[in-house]
Amino acid sequence: MRKHNQYSEYSNWQVSALVILRVLIGWHFLYEGVVKVLNPHWSAAGFLNASQGPFANLFKGMVSNPGVLEVVNFCNQWGLVLIGLSLIVGLLSRWASIGGMVLLFLYYVSNPPFIGIEASAVAEGSYLIVNKNLIELFSLLVLYLFPTGNIIGLNRLFASRK
Amino acid sequence: MEEKKSNGMSRRDTIKALATLPVLGYFGYAYNANLLKIEEAKAQNYLERLKIDKIEVSEEKLSPPTGNSGNRIRFGVVGNGWRGEQLLKSLGYVHPDYVEDSSENGIPDKGMQKFLDQEDLNVEFAAVCDTFEVHTRRGVEISANDLRPFGKKRDPKPAKVFSSYKEMIASDDIDAIIIATADHTHAQIAIEAAKAGKHIYLEKPMTHSIEEAVELRKVIKDTGVVFQLGHQNRQQMSFKIANELYEKGVFGDVSMVQVYTNRNTVFGAWIRDDAFDHKLGNKDNINWEEFLGNVPLCEFDRKKYFSWQRYSEFGTSITGNDLSHQFECMNQVLKLGIPETVVALGGQYYYKHHGDMPDVFNAVFNYPERGLTMTYDGNLKNDAYRPSRILGSAGTVDVDRAILMYKDNHTDRYKDIILDPSDPFYYYAPDDDVDAISSATSQVYMKGGYGPTTIDGKTVEATLLHLKEWVDAIRGQGKPSCDIEAGFEEAVTFNLANLAYEHKKVVTWDKVNEKAIIG
Repeated sequence: MRKHNQYSEYSNWQVSALVILRVLIGWHFLYEGVVKVLNPHWSAAGFLNASQGPFANLFKGMVSNPGVLEVVNFCNQWGLVLIGLSLIVGLLSRWASIGGMVLLFLYYVSNPPFIGIEASAVAEGSYLIVNKNLIELFSLLVLYLFPTGNIIGLNRLFASRK
Repeated sequence: MEEKKSNGMSRRDTIKALATLPVLGYFGYAYNANLLKIEEAKAQNYLERLKIDKIEVSEEKLSPPTGNSGNRIRFGVVGNGWRGEQLLKSLGYVHPDYVEDSSENGIPDKGMQKFLDQEDLNVEFAAVCDTFEVHTRRGVEISANDLRPFGKKRDPKPAKVFSSYKEMIASDDIDAIIIATADHTHAQIAIEAAKAGKHIYLEKPMTHSIEEAVELRKVIKDTGVVFQLGHQNRQQMSFKIANELYEKGVFGDVSMVQVYTNRNTVFGAWIRDDAFDHKLGNKDNINWEEFLGNVPLCEFDRKKYFSWQRYSEFGTSITGNDLSHQFECMNQVLKLGIPETVVALGGQYYYKHHGDMPDVFNAVFNYPERGLTMTYDGNLKNDAYRPSRILGSAGTVDVDRAILMYKDNHTDRYKDIILDPSDPFYYYAPDDDVDAISSATSQVYMKGGYGPTTIDGKTVEATLLHLKEWVDAIRGQGKPSCDIEAGFEEAVTFNLANLAYEHKKVVTWDKVNEKAIIG
């Protein structure tokens, strides 16, 4: 018989898999964020300038305005850190999933591997339409739809149980 | 049944709530460990530690103009061919046809604008001499063109035409001479000009033989005229930087130098009977006897006249044409001097209908005192681009207009510097936008460092800087960088290779008697 978790319809294996996925994505976000926060010279400018595709001008425009660029840099690096922490510890991780999806969407459209667009310098593999950003984005959607913070995570401390 | 706390939490709940927190702890540990490792590996700022983070020559400034109303230099041009006109452009003179082709509705294109913005060297194109009437006439038209850098010149004086270089040298109309003739006449014209007290800008290669080089060097030293050999690579920033790196010991012990010529076009093989305006040439508008100079009189031959580079009585073979460039660059970087022994092999296997120039050619130049050899591959049937390469005990360095150095895996010198093998140890590339160049030969020319260079944050033609250096030196400011000593090393080196090829024997340089010993 399948062993079910006390508080959900997920089996223990399902919970484990979802939590591991959550922690892995959280780790990825946290590391990306911490690296940027601790590097005083980091800026999104290079990434944005390499932007291609239909929204390239929008992203390049961000670089040309120093005020905007500063805001973009700040939101990006601290966004990554907070989303990462949230996913790892399982606190407000549904909100974090949404935030993460927004960031990943922006990364995706700034350098979309669309038909006819040459691989840019920032891409490290070979992609056509689907790339790792897109996969991570939809993984977060799965985490949003199958939340686990209430089961394994700090959310459990605040969850009201009936 | 587990005991619930007052807030409804069991111990099990708490454990589950905090289950992933240790991940954060491990994250912190891994982050730190990784950071330390990266820092260590980078050996932070090794360029600074090696004192090559700041290169002195790249701080160099453009020297200010030396011309004024009282020191205008009048120059004459002998040999107003393709290269002659390029030199004239750097001196501030272009043909009216060029002006017309380079502007649309009176708006100059990029190249023309560059010409208009270039430094006015305050020189006057006073005399012209060419054995081809069409080129003489073009010279006069160029001199009479009123469009000059920084505006129009009023009443430009057409250059005086001389039918022989001897008359031009003897006249008081010029202070200096620019020699861009066929190689076999370089020495005789330069020697006579120096004896007449005219300052000399001589196109490369310096001389057709070693004996001529010995004589020319003596005359230049005796007369004290300002002499510049036309190797404009001396102005190229990448070679200056490479020299500084070498002097600072960055390359370690240099054991081998590899230089190349790779071309695969008829034009690139110096077959130019029908190139440019050469189709207009015939027996009646070419002064064949004047062209021959010291070469015994023979019947007029159009092929010989326009493709003289391929005939050993006039030209200096693939070595004088191109190895002279590559050698000069490496001599600038490494101060090679003259090799002790040279061997060379090859043959004329493809372009058999023109002269006796080999089209496949290899030479080895041995420098026992330096513990190195230089090898040269010259190929006129393949156009693979290969930059000159310096093999040092501390790294491998490719040098052209850019510098790319990879450190040696087994060098002790940099053993504490851990780099990804695909990451260069040192890299320099000029920060400019050189216009797209159409032909393969000119692309290689640009890439090789003979076109523009970057100095003082500006992109300037190396040829212009080279001429400026000569003009400034005539006015007593500074010295030419490709002087008679550098020229002597160039001429002897490639001529040794030609002798080795011709005699199919090892050729040794007798530096005491300044003679080549064959066999």
